[in-house]
Amino acid sequence: MAAIANSLLAALPRKSYLRLLPGLIPVELGFGEVLYEPGKPIRDVYFPGQSLVSLLTLVEGHLALEVGLVGREGMVGVPLALGIGASPVRALVQGAGPALRMSAAGFRRELSRSPPLQRELYRYVHTLMAQISQTAGCNRFHVVEARLARWLLMTRDRVRSGEFRMTHEFLSHMLGVRRVGVTEAASALQRRKLIEYSRGNIKILDHRGLQQAACACYEGLKD
Amino acid sequence: MPARRTPKQNHLLAALPAADLLRLMPQLEAVPLPLGALIYESDGEQGHVYFPTSGIVSLLYVMNDGASAEIAVVGNEGMVGIALFMGGGTTPSRAVVQSAGRAYRLDARRIKVEFARGGALQRLLLRYTQALITQMTQTAVCNRHHLLEQQLCRWLLLSLDRLPSSELVMTQQLIANMLGVRREGVADAAGRLQADGLISYRRGRINVLDRAKLEERVCECYAVVRRESERLFASHHAIAA
Repeated sequence: MAAIANSLLAALPRKSYLRLLPGLIPVELGFGEVLYEPGKPIRDVYFPGQSLVSLLTLVEGHLALEVGLVGREGMVGVPLALGIGASPVRALVQGAGPALRMSAAGFRRELSRSPPLQRELYRYVHTLMAQISQTAGCNRFHVVEARLARWLLMTRDRVRSGEFRMTHEFLSHMLGVRRVGVTEAASALQRRKLIEYSRGNIKILDHRGLQQAACACYEGLKD
Repeated sequence: MPARRTPKQNHLLAALPAADLLRLMPQLEAVPLPLGALIYESDGEQGHVYFPTSGIVSLLYVMNDGASAEIAVVGNEGMVGIALFMGGGTTPSRAVVQSAGRAYRLDARRIKVEFARGGALQRLLLRYTQALITQMTQTAVCNRHHLLEQQLCRWLLLSLDRLPSSELVMTQQLIANMLGVRREGVADAAGRLQADGLISYRRGRINVLDRAKLEERVCECYAVVRRESERLFASHHAIAA
């Protein structure tokens, strides 16, 4: 059997995993695809492999801020695990790639009869809450450049690649700043030879240097 | 005559089916929540979960350099110590009593056992977790996008919802620490609200004079958090069933 790309699933005892397997459908998530809209029912949950999904809040109907980033370490559709059927956020695919999809009904059924799945999910919810609260604090105190560095590192950890596609506009939603702010921060990192950024492609050149440029929030979240 | 204290003054405990509450009763320990008390430290072990019946507990995210910002408030609608049953053990946040009150607390081992039973208590705590996530999310957004004055209105309204009167005992410095901003900024914003007759502010006491106007001034973040909390309890009959 091939290695399990999603580490939440990989952490399950083999027996629990095998029972989930028939309900897990391999899908390719496309860049920019919207998995959930705020207030709308969650029809499926997703366990990302190489893909990356952003959880975004809206203010007055406009994209305002990324509050969570879900990759191979987690699951998209956490409210369902907490007994809520609608998503409070928009879930947007930010890194294309494979994921395993499961229907909401199937997921609920499996969750109710699998204590190991509950354990892994609740632990994941806890780390997601830590990520959200850190985002709140980080947004308050840290400069855009350090936040951008943190965000690039978080993305890298999840897609396991130092190169990815990312427009200015997208980054401005992620960080909750205006595009010009993103441009300035990215140029500063580029001048320091930490990244290369052209035509929406970001390449991390100096991983260690970028870690030093990031705020301490990154260290706290890495795990 | 003041009403007798009972665990049912906490909305989560009140929403439990009678049999579940009865089972918990002998384990619930009534404790005071004195102003400024540290309920748990960031990354510290948590010995108990707390169900406030009055007062407000503030959850603060603490930065490496010691600066902090409030990420959520918990009153008698909620509980403090989610990390215990979610399996995280510790959190990167600190819980401090922001307004004195009382709580019932439950030993760490006990809440884990109760949570693991499944059933109504587990469902209720999970839903509360989602409501808390919404509050944290909204705080993050509000910090980023809204004017300090709007944030102050949000903070006042969230506090008011958790207090029996329209008076808050709170210095500007403390509010500044909660919001993660400088005291001068809070003084300016509070001064404007006072000049417009929404609040009166004297010697560390804030009186809300015109709640309706405060609700007009606040950003949408307040309504989002409140709605989520109401939804939690609107569905509690479904949970108990």
